Amino acid sequence: MSTSTIQRGILRPEDVAAAAPLPDVLPPVKARRGFFGFIRRHPTMAFGGALMLLIIAMAILAPFLGTVDPTALAPARRTREPSAMYWFGTDMLGRDVYSRVLYGARVSLIVGFAVAFFSSVIGLTIGLISGFVRWADAIIMRIMDGLMSIPSILLAIALMALTRGSVGNVILAITIAEVPRVSRLVRGVVLSLREQPYVDAAVASGTSTPRIIIRHILPNTLAPLTVQATYICASAMIAESILSFIGAGTPPIIPSWGNIMAEGRALWQVKPYIVFFPAIFLSLTVLAVNLLGDGLRDSLDPRMAKKV
Amino acid sequence: MFAYALRRIVATIPVMAVVALFVFSLLYISPGDPAAVIAGDQATPEDVERIRASLGLDRPYLVRFGEWVWHIAQGDLGTSIFTNLPVSTMIAQRIEPTLSLMVITLILAVGIAVPMGVIAAWKQGTWIDRSVMGFAVLGFSVPVFVVGYLLAYVFALELDWLPVQGYTPFSRGIWPWFQNLILPAVALGGVYIALIARITRATMLEVLQQDYIRTARAKGVGQRGILFLHALKNAAVPIVTVIGIGVALLIGGAVVTESVFAIPGLGRLTVDAILRRDYPVIQGVILLFSFTYVLVNLVIDLLYTLFDPRIRY
Repeated sequence: MSTSTIQRGILRPEDVAAAAPLPDVLPPVKARRGFFGFIRRHPTMAFGGALMLLIIAMAILAPFLGTVDPTALAPARRTREPSAMYWFGTDMLGRDVYSRVLYGARVSLIVGFAVAFFSSVIGLTIGLISGFVRWADAIIMRIMDGLMSIPSILLAIALMALTRGSVGNVILAITIAEVPRVSRLVRGVVLSLREQPYVDAAVASGTSTPRIIIRHILPNTLAPLTVQATYICASAMIAESILSFIGAGTPPIIPSWGNIMAEGRALWQVKPYIVFFPAIFLSLTVLAVNLLGDGLRDSLDPRMAKKV
Repeated sequence: MFAYALRRIVATIPVMAVVALFVFSLLYISPGDPAAVIAGDQATPEDVERIRASLGLDRPYLVRFGEWVWHIAQGDLGTSIFTNLPVSTMIAQRIEPTLSLMVITLILAVGIAVPMGVIAAWKQGTWIDRSVMGFAVLGFSVPVFVVGYLLAYVFALELDWLPVQGYTPFSRGIWPWFQNLILPAVALGGVYIALIARITRATMLEVLQQDYIRTARAKGVGQRGILFLHALKNAAVPIVTVIGIGVALLIGGAVVTESVFAIPGLGRLTVDAILRRDYPVIQGVILLFSFTYVLVNLVIDLLYTLFDPRIRY
């Protein structure tokens, strides 16, 4: 800064000589707490969570939301346009699309949560073994690499081709397709945690390996695992609908969103609403889970926040 | 470099072996007994046993696996249970539409997603950045077939700009061929664009904070030069990696997209094979898709040195 700046009075000479001393105590950052504080700090998570709760409530309360039996056939009233009587219209067998869509939420949520839970537990176990048992690591990771090189939806399709369509088998097939990714993630975290000084300290003080795993390693894998689980939940919901849509998923008798769309497929050029209503609900549900996942990731790993 | 390439190629062998073992086991544990089916209803247990022996189905698992691999190495993927045609012939008949769809989607997605990510990183925090990120979240959330139906409804049924469904072979002219693939490619590209745009933005944000970017700016390089020459070049490795990994999304999505748009490609073949439980065809398609995926990622790994000369092996 030149003397002219000083002369023009922008900076006073004493500022140039020495920076103004900082106040001893910085004013406390006013932390916003409570419900509204949470919404302000994590808008995506709050929005995703609210949407998710709404959909869960809708799935649980489906019988009380003006629905009829979602499998009741009424050939005389088939393919009715949406109206006051049939909010989302009726399908080609006269079934009420509104009721089917609401009940369909149950299938999506069950599959999403179950796959997220089981693939996390199995992936965590495999990842921990792989990270701690040297000789098993090479074998396990080669198998996981192999399974990961089969696109996961194809892997699930192939497994479904072996069994009858049922909700349980769909969950199993998608879980198997998701496990390799989780185990890779957990293994990576475990390997980097093993190099941490506090693990060395635990080893030096004679802590047993199982105790190190439970006390020092496991808790630190939970944050990335939880984030991963939400994304798995989202992709499992999409996978379920794809499997059902191509006829390799839940049996047609069960009103799942994929099944409703599969049945509306033949008629979609004249009666697009049969496809579009379940499509909107599926997209909103997956969006809610994804937003929840993004919010979780940002709050659990602040360094990553606002970047990816 | 050569040693690295060799090591990297050798490393794909166990991966491919696991894929082959999995795909083979699929037929091995598949329900239904081929010998009983061929023998028919009137056959005695001895007849079934004889046919089983003549098909070689009574031999141990690993022997049959070895034989199966040997056949595949010679290009023999078996015979379809349903059409009695060789699986390789059926795949050859269906490969053009799928390959066309994937190549167009790939070009479209990379062409849109990379500039999107670069601009979002440049305008970080503005409404442009937020809309790119919002689009990315939507791309991850709206399934391929939903986008497909929506596009077909708006642009084909309502506006009548493009054909609703079907496929025109490349030999009948570029425009008719391309016209049929625009909507499927956009539908299929959604997730892929979201993925690439996100990683491009993240990597660019990191690179833009580097010292050499400040140096470039200081010596007077224009904004466009900084973004697309200095920064993007240095951000190339993660972006290209994700483009390779995302090919799995394209393969999985193609199966669905082809069903929505009635494209007679490998995806349709897979779906039909599953509905008919035509295991040899399922095996052939999965094997082909997986090996393609492994090869694409192998090539990308080998190309790293081109994108980033600092990487030495």
